[in-house]
Amino acid sequence: MAGPYSGIRVVDTTGLSGAYATRLLAGLGAEVIRLESPDGSPLRRLSPFAENIEAPENSLWWSYLAMGTRSVVIDPQDTESLMQLLATADVVFEDQLPEKSVLPAGEISPTTIRTKILPFGSSGPKRNWHTSNLVAWAASGILYTTGFTNRAPVAPAAPLQLAYHASAASALVGTLLALRSRRMTGRGQEVEISMQEVTLSIAPETGVPMFMDDRVHRERTGNRRDLGRPFGLYPCKDGFVSIIVLMPRHWTAMAQWVSEATGNESITEEVFVDNAVRVEAKDLIDDWVEELTTQGTRLELFEEGQRRGIPITPVNTIDALVGNPHLEAADFWTKTHLQDDTEVTIPGAPFRSSSPWWSMAPAPRLGEHTHMYLS
Amino acid sequence: MTDTDDLPLKGVRVFELGIAIASPFCGKLMAHFGADVLKIESRMSPDVVRILGSAWLKDREDLAPISSDTSPYVSEMNASKRSVGLELKTEEGKAAALQLLAECDVFLANFGARALAELGFDYDSVAAVNPNIVYVQLPGFGSDETMPYYPFVAWGPNQAPLVGMDDFTGHADDPPAGIATIAPPDYMSALHAAIATITGLEQRETTGEGVHVDISQFETTLALLGPFVMDYDLTGTVYSRIGNRSIWGAPQGVYPCTGNERWIAISATEAEDWTTLRSLVGQAVDPEFDDASIRNADQDRLDEQIAAWTSSFEVEDLAHRLQAAGIAAHVVSTNEDLLHDTHVTSREWYQVAPSNRLGRDVFSGCAVKLSATPGRWTEAGPSMGQHTREILSDVVGLSDEAIDHLISAGGAFEQIEPGMVATRPWNDWIHLLVPGTEDARDL
Repeated sequence: MAGPYSGIRVVDTTGLSGAYATRLLAGLGAEVIRLESPDGSPLRRLSPFAENIEAPENSLWWSYLAMGTRSVVIDPQDTESLMQLLATADVVFEDQLPEKSVLPAGEISPTTIRTKILPFGSSGPKRNWHTSNLVAWAASGILYTTGFTNRAPVAPAAPLQLAYHASAASALVGTLLALRSRRMTGRGQEVEISMQEVTLSIAPETGVPMFMDDRVHRERTGNRRDLGRPFGLYPCKDGFVSIIVLMPRHWTAMAQWVSEATGNESITEEVFVDNAVRVEAKDLIDDWVEELTTQGTRLELFEEGQRRGIPITPVNTIDALVGNPHLEAADFWTKTHLQDDTEVTIPGAPFRSSSPWWSMAPAPRLGEHTHMYLS
Repeated sequence: MTDTDDLPLKGVRVFELGIAIASPFCGKLMAHFGADVLKIESRMSPDVVRILGSAWLKDREDLAPISSDTSPYVSEMNASKRSVGLELKTEEGKAAALQLLAECDVFLANFGARALAELGFDYDSVAAVNPNIVYVQLPGFGSDETMPYYPFVAWGPNQAPLVGMDDFTGHADDPPAGIATIAPPDYMSALHAAIATITGLEQRETTGEGVHVDISQFETTLALLGPFVMDYDLTGTVYSRIGNRSIWGAPQGVYPCTGNERWIAISATEAEDWTTLRSLVGQAVDPEFDDASIRNADQDRLDEQIAAWTSSFEVEDLAHRLQAAGIAAHVVSTNEDLLHDTHVTSREWYQVAPSNRLGRDVFSGCAVKLSATPGRWTEAGPSMGQHTREILSDVVGLSDEAIDHLISAGGAFEQIEPGMVATRPWNDWIHLLVPGTEDARDL
């Protein structure tokens, strides 16, 4: 395996909480081993599943997140094999408190880096609490502020499991720092991630420093905000577009566009250049803007609005993204193979580097590499 | 307190052209772990956190000159960085910046790619003065000028819808709710930038060569959509919003409790969770829901019955009961709840550090915790231009006269009104956010 972290051996004992991190590590060249029990990683039980492939090889979550890694199966009772594998690891990813873990509580070796991703961290009154993507967002202040006023609050992009992926990405940052530190000092250490703190760190808008400063009890405002007009989501022929107009030059371009497209002469009046006036007259402004947006598709409005210099984006759905002309031109999408050799489209590398950093083999079969690591 | 000498990023100097969140959040992480992060600032086109100001300052005309140093986001995104006032659009300021760049290890920027190129700080220009630099940029749509969306503009809240997040947010029968108050793509891009930067530094140790990393925020965030893209390719299925439900089991949701707008989040999607939940809800939920397939098939009715049960509980009490039984649950916290969350404060999540302008300031800590080399906060967010003179002198090696000349020519600026200090109205309560607090409810 090539890549900047080739030669580093990683054992991942987590499920969803660490998977995105070790996927990236594998892409960057590390030798990543997924430790599985005989009935397989919890990731293998996550739908959607590929048709025509038998369990436990059919989960698309596994097929995506386990790319580039190796599968080693060890029975949880088999402490000897477990220790044999762990003894060779540079990094171990874990998601359990010490008292609940099958891994040794004490030091594995002075050079091992142990990365622990825990629901609420290893200390504090909630250290034993359980979590989920939903619960992590509830504990961040963001869930409460997301959604329409007359409906229950909703988690941001719930199906994507963002709280887990953000925790994994944070865990990887800590792991890479610990590897750098080990290169300089020769010593390993522990990296700890509390999923609650990860969601708090990406939610300062509802955080305590902000609240103490302005004492504003943030509430749900639906899909528009009264910081400006137009500001938020507007309906169009095939869904919605997102428009955020704050700056005078963006408004001038917006008003001109509405005027040209709908024959509206009032909207270009000087008085509306003032954002405060537009917020005051928000229903009127919204009606006028909707007369424009309902005439076009997401892609048409996006490309024409951007041509005019307006911050407008489509509210994309998966089908629109896969067919997006920019991503196609940039050759972003790539392919992997499922266990029955079916070729399937996946997102490409998360960043582009002038060095050859990224390569990804298909996800392994359950126990495919056990023989390589256990004598 | 760890000595900087032990920190993983000791000796690493970062030149940061950051605005708002994506690049500043990455820079703050690096500063915490020992890097000397230089935030390059402009009065001609300031970072948005310098424009925001502070809520309590609105009626204080006497303090208007220092408004740019008072937004809570200044410390939230820039703690422990040094601020250098350099006007890159002037010939003199640009020349000084390039001299400074020659002494840096990392270039980090989230300016739009076209704006960065027009300023003359694209990769080729920077590598010309510092060939070994680790150059990491986070433009919205990539830095390849031949690509269709290269010149496009998007604010943080425009990016989430672009990558499918708004469509995934909300109840199934409602219009998309959108993610009004956070921009996950900014933070995910920032974390990827940190990963790329550390990787680049490590690789430079072995190869001696720098690297150019292009983090197109559009592409980076799409890497989180893998399984949904695959299912679309295989079956044509277009996943969309499903409220707070799980695609993997039921029940999971946000349910009402006693009081106005008090909600609890509960995840009980595994078979053993249901057995536990059943022992708590008793007869309040129909016996037929003991069948997992019925729980999944009739979630509307299941949620109604659970909501009827939760609505007689006080929310904090119910969260403790559920967690004590082993079920993932939490109060849907408001910002005021977080102020009183003793778990969060017991882990020292909020940090207090000296501030040149405010005496001291409070900000969120770092979610990445290392046992042997924990990071440190030297200072809260800097004042605009606070460190201009010391950096131009110590790092670039300019004489005082040369610095004076640079400033009078408009190429650089120092902190405005250095003697003018302010105190946040709640300064006296800061100590309540650190462990040992008794009660912060007086706020």
